Amino acid sequence: MMNRRQLLATMASTTLLATAREGFAQGAPTFRIAALNPITGSGAAYGAGMQKMILAAVEEVNAAGGAGGRKIEVVAEDTQSQPQAGVLAAKKLIEIDKVQGLIGIWSSGVALATIPLANDANILFMCTSGAPEITNPQVNSKGLVYRFNTTGDGYGRAFAEACAREGFKRPATMAFNNASGIGIVDGFRKAWEKNGGKVVEAVVYEPNQPSYRSELQKVLAAKPDVIVTGSYLPDTTIILREWFQTGDTQKWMLPGQAANPDLIKAIGPEASEGLFVVNSISNEMSTAYAKFDAAYRKAMNQPGTSNIYAAMAWDMVIVLALAMEAAGPNANVAAINAKIREIANPPGKQVSSFAEGKEALKAGKVNYDGASSAVDFNQAGDVLPDFDLSVISKGVITRKNIIKI
Amino acid sequence: MEAYLVAMAIITAIYVLLALGLNLQYGLTGLTNFGHVGFFCIGAYTAALMGQIGIPWPISFLAGAALAALAAWPLGLVSLKLRDDYFAIVSLGFSEIVRIVVTSEQWLTKGVQGITGIPKLLGFLGTGLTQSLAVLALLIAVNVLAGLANRRIVRSPFGRMIEAIRDNEEAVKALGKDPAGFKIQVLMLGAALAGVAGGFYAHYIGYIVPEQFIPLITFYVWMAIIIGGVGRISGAFAGTLILMIFLEGSRFLRGVIPFVSEVEMASIRLGIIGLALVLFTLYRPQGLMGDYTKR
Repeated sequence: MMNRRQLLATMASTTLLATAREGFAQGAPTFRIAALNPITGSGAAYGAGMQKMILAAVEEVNAAGGAGGRKIEVVAEDTQSQPQAGVLAAKKLIEIDKVQGLIGIWSSGVALATIPLANDANILFMCTSGAPEITNPQVNSKGLVYRFNTTGDGYGRAFAEACAREGFKRPATMAFNNASGIGIVDGFRKAWEKNGGKVVEAVVYEPNQPSYRSELQKVLAAKPDVIVTGSYLPDTTIILREWFQTGDTQKWMLPGQAANPDLIKAIGPEASEGLFVVNSISNEMSTAYAKFDAAYRKAMNQPGTSNIYAAMAWDMVIVLALAMEAAGPNANVAAINAKIREIANPPGKQVSSFAEGKEALKAGKVNYDGASSAVDFNQAGDVLPDFDLSVISKGVITRKNIIKI
Repeated sequence: MEAYLVAMAIITAIYVLLALGLNLQYGLTGLTNFGHVGFFCIGAYTAALMGQIGIPWPISFLAGAALAALAAWPLGLVSLKLRDDYFAIVSLGFSEIVRIVVTSEQWLTKGVQGITGIPKLLGFLGTGLTQSLAVLALLIAVNVLAGLANRRIVRSPFGRMIEAIRDNEEAVKALGKDPAGFKIQVLMLGAALAGVAGGFYAHYIGYIVPEQFIPLITFYVWMAIIIGGVGRISGAFAGTLILMIFLEGSRFLRGVIPFVSEVEMASIRLGIIGLALVLFTLYRPQGLMGDYTKR
């Protein structure tokens, strides 16, 4: 809860912001974007942080004098993490607010339902969703869609590489039944079978169960030497607890979203001993990450590591602003879109903030090194971050090696 | 602006179809159906799958309606043996079963990945306003047809019979009539309407995935008929319209409420929707079109 002083401070600052917004409207032309985030619904844990980071990044861009001579203006809407609500919100943003970009779409369901609207309106679309179809050329038909998150395929390839390095021969998979969980293990199976391997058992489980014993027994019956999971923290906790009780000794390989210090706390150092963790490396060493982390702590009172999607949302705004700057004054969406890969990918001077990039663009090309990843897009519009393989020992997660895919 | 209003109108019209079906079941016959979204889901997936392989929409919509009605048949058989509240539980379970089956049968429905690229209705009109308006016109025509058919039912001997079942099933039995057949027929009719609504929904949104067919949809439809007035055909129209005005209109509150952050606004919006619904039912419990003389 807020106390009175904080409330007054918030009121004062929002009034200032509101007047500032009017000020822009009267002055220079603005470029209007939409923060279309999951504030309520299943993505609620991430949506608020994403939206606040979009606003914070925009503030930074505007403080540096705007991009391409224009200030950026944000209109926010809630997708309720539901496709139908997302479609109506997007229609409103496109038709009434006339936004030139939809930023920060989180769930695959909302993304797949709203991409056609962005295509029809010829505006930019930046999301963090995992479903492979999103950057399929049929869906991303106009090249306006950018995904700032790893795909399930990318994750799966990293898993396959990690299994090969550790010398496993008989992997099995367990997947949480949603697009992202299935995406990871499908990606793994494809990559593993391409190298002539075989997956001995693949189990898909329904979410929100109190116990996963029967699924676990089915996997263990195939006598795998490692179990690769496409899972989340709550279900992984239950599964590993039940596995520990069986006394089996095969290994586990978990995605980073499922294995963090909370997992070790929940199942104890004994059960977590020797678990492998494969994670995409959010660019934690970069200057951009430090900037994002500071902004996130200020806005949400939590460390930036707690919300990887907020780091992606931050990068979305900076990438867009740098592309606007590179495209020059009053560029249209097509011209801005044409510059996105140019400022995000090598070659060019490595920059980690908008102000720095704006300065460097005067001299030549830039390559934005983001908070969530290096932010280098491939032809389809996906980023390909690096991964690392860690192992949990005595209750501590230690990085073993880096995996480039 | 126009395109947004048309989009809202299309979603409203789809919900009116759902509301008309539920009104027939609950409003007129007294069947507490908490699984309406199950029939909606069946209609949507049928239309989406058939649409993808190029079957014309009138055929796929009819097939969706037929399949939804068929799915309602066993549910109707069950309903004969159960009291109201138990039927509510069974029907809620039914809609969850439909959702889980759709999630699991990946060979057909692509499971949690969902079905993408469902063609637009009347695609030969392009993707602009004309096409949306044409879809809306089609939906309104279907709604008017369904409304008229409903009115016809209410005024027929069949309508009097189902209302009698709602008001006093024992008395109906005592008069030598068998309520069973009527209940099953009503359930199948309402399900068919929901199936058609599903077809429109799938083609309009263009992407369907099981997570869209959650019980919340059922309860939106319930809210609509309660606001509109249970048992009134005009209530299904009016109630849905008001619900949509609450849901969508609240987006524009941003302009009039100062001093709140964007994140807080999203929660305030949902709070205001809830408050409006509560106040509405408090001050007008019989619904907008409800009868003042009854209850």
